[in-house]
Amino acid sequence: MLRTTRLWTTRMPTVSKLFLRNSSGNALNKNKLPFLYSSQGPQAVRYTSQHEWIAVHQDKTAFVGITKYATDALGDATYVELPEVGTEIAQGESLGSIESVKSASEIYQPADGTVEEINTNLEENPGVVNEDPMGDGWLVKMKLGEGVNVEQVEGLMSLEQYEKTLVHDD
Amino acid sequence: MSIIKKIVFKRFNSTLKKTALHDLHVSLGGTMVPYAGYSMPVLYKGQTHIESHNWTRTNAGLFDVSHMLQSKLSGPHSVKFLQRVTPTDFNALPVGSGTLSVLLNPQGGVVDDTIITKENDDNEFYIVTNAGCAERDTEFFHDELQNGSTLDCQWKIIEGRSLLALQGPKAKDVLEPLLSKTAPGKDLKELFFGQRHEFALKDGSLVQIARGGYTGEDGFEISIANEKAVEFAEQLLANPVMKPIGLAARDSLRLEAGMCLYGHELDESITPVEAALNWVISKSRRDLVDQKYWFNGYAKIMDQLNNKTYSKVRVGFKYLKKGPAARNGVKIFLPDAETEVGLVTSGSASPTLNNINIGQAYVQKGYHKKGTKLLVQVRNKFYPIELAKMPLVPTHYYKQ
Repeated sequence: MLRTTRLWTTRMPTVSKLFLRNSSGNALNKNKLPFLYSSQGPQAVRYTSQHEWIAVHQDKTAFVGITKYATDALGDATYVELPEVGTEIAQGESLGSIESVKSASEIYQPADGTVEEINTNLEENPGVVNEDPMGDGWLVKMKLGEGVNVEQVEGLMSLEQYEKTLVHDD
Repeated sequence: MSIIKKIVFKRFNSTLKKTALHDLHVSLGGTMVPYAGYSMPVLYKGQTHIESHNWTRTNAGLFDVSHMLQSKLSGPHSVKFLQRVTPTDFNALPVGSGTLSVLLNPQGGVVDDTIITKENDDNEFYIVTNAGCAERDTEFFHDELQNGSTLDCQWKIIEGRSLLALQGPKAKDVLEPLLSKTAPGKDLKELFFGQRHEFALKDGSLVQIARGGYTGEDGFEISIANEKAVEFAEQLLANPVMKPIGLAARDSLRLEAGMCLYGHELDESITPVEAALNWVISKSRRDLVDQKYWFNGYAKIMDQLNNKTYSKVRVGFKYLKKGPAARNGVKIFLPDAETEVGLVTSGSASPTLNNINIGQAYVQKGYHKKGTKLLVQVRNKFYPIELAKMPLVPTHYYKQ
């Protein structure tokens, strides 16, 4: 009974945070797969200083994408290059690249994991990355490595922490 | 993902020069970046690169090109001087007409590409050269003029004037109503591609308008006094078919149109023949027996032209399937993916061609024919390309 009560109170602050930041362009789109993958929603959503996001679910399935801030800076995406399914990628390694007319930008892996699925829709429609970077524009779905806890991985930030870095950048 | 920190630009901005339109760009939401020593707009708020590009191809766009060097060559020996430093015949050029040409160093290499317009008989020429080459061009003109100590002519930079490029199929419709009809028959309909004439605005101010541009579309390059530039730009932008357009779109537009970017397709080691610019070598100047009339690098250039002794030549290309763009510096291989035969000089997605990748490159002679299938190597993978005749997108010049 006490345990049940405790779980309830623990979850509340997380929900509040997401709710308070819902208007932020860099928050996960709650109507799309990276959020809706499991019925209880992601266990944790984290951001990197290189403007990637990672949404982790209870079964250690994670979705990775780039933030709204990143896609605005990039301009119209014209090509997305992603790894092969089955590829093991360590934190900080290249996950692929995104091209606009003017530039090519490398995407870095936020935490150790193995690629289970890539967003094949981006091959024909790279512009989805600009239209919905925090939802339909997800890049890869992966299984996190054994023992990886994104809440403890160095260099990963909460939405609030991430957005503070953006304000500083400007 | 790597994104350049904005703080870097802020530091640059404090030492950069500003065009007369700088504050207007900022007020229009221009993202300002350092370019050729100036603070220039690369994009405007509310427009993506692709939207800017497509708008120019279908409506009308306003580009600030005031950073480019406007200069004047005058004196009785002006033609003689130009005959030495360029391969073009300026004797044959009608008054009021301009032509694209190249400045040549003594080895026949391209110092800069330029548009030169004859203004008065054979004694006065208006010259526009690239912003990025301003320092070198100034040195070049001074050196060449001193080199021919018998030449009676002077070159000087034109100060205090802005240059606005109005480009796109609707450009003429925007500009016409702003001009005063000072003389019968002197209107935009009679200003053809390559020509440049003086016009008056409604308030009596004089502007020089050249028909042409760097996009492949019909359009104008308008030289106007700095004091009048903002007011005039605002008048142009008041037309709903107008948008301000930044440097990013300018580059993708010129790439599709097959135009050179100095520092990419051209440098001082490349001749006009290698650059596939044979047409700047006037036919009347291809058989000059007397060395006295030779232009710089004549022997080498004519050998390349007549005997095909060049080893590489500029080509255009298109991707045959999706992939990352091949940009400046990417290597080109034969289909064996082992034999290197060229180097990309510019490349990006082409908004007009539904974002297929296109580019320009230098390819070894023998592999340079259009239709040739080769490979580019981007991040250790190979992608098939086909060489294509330039322009890669049809042009729409208003020709006589």
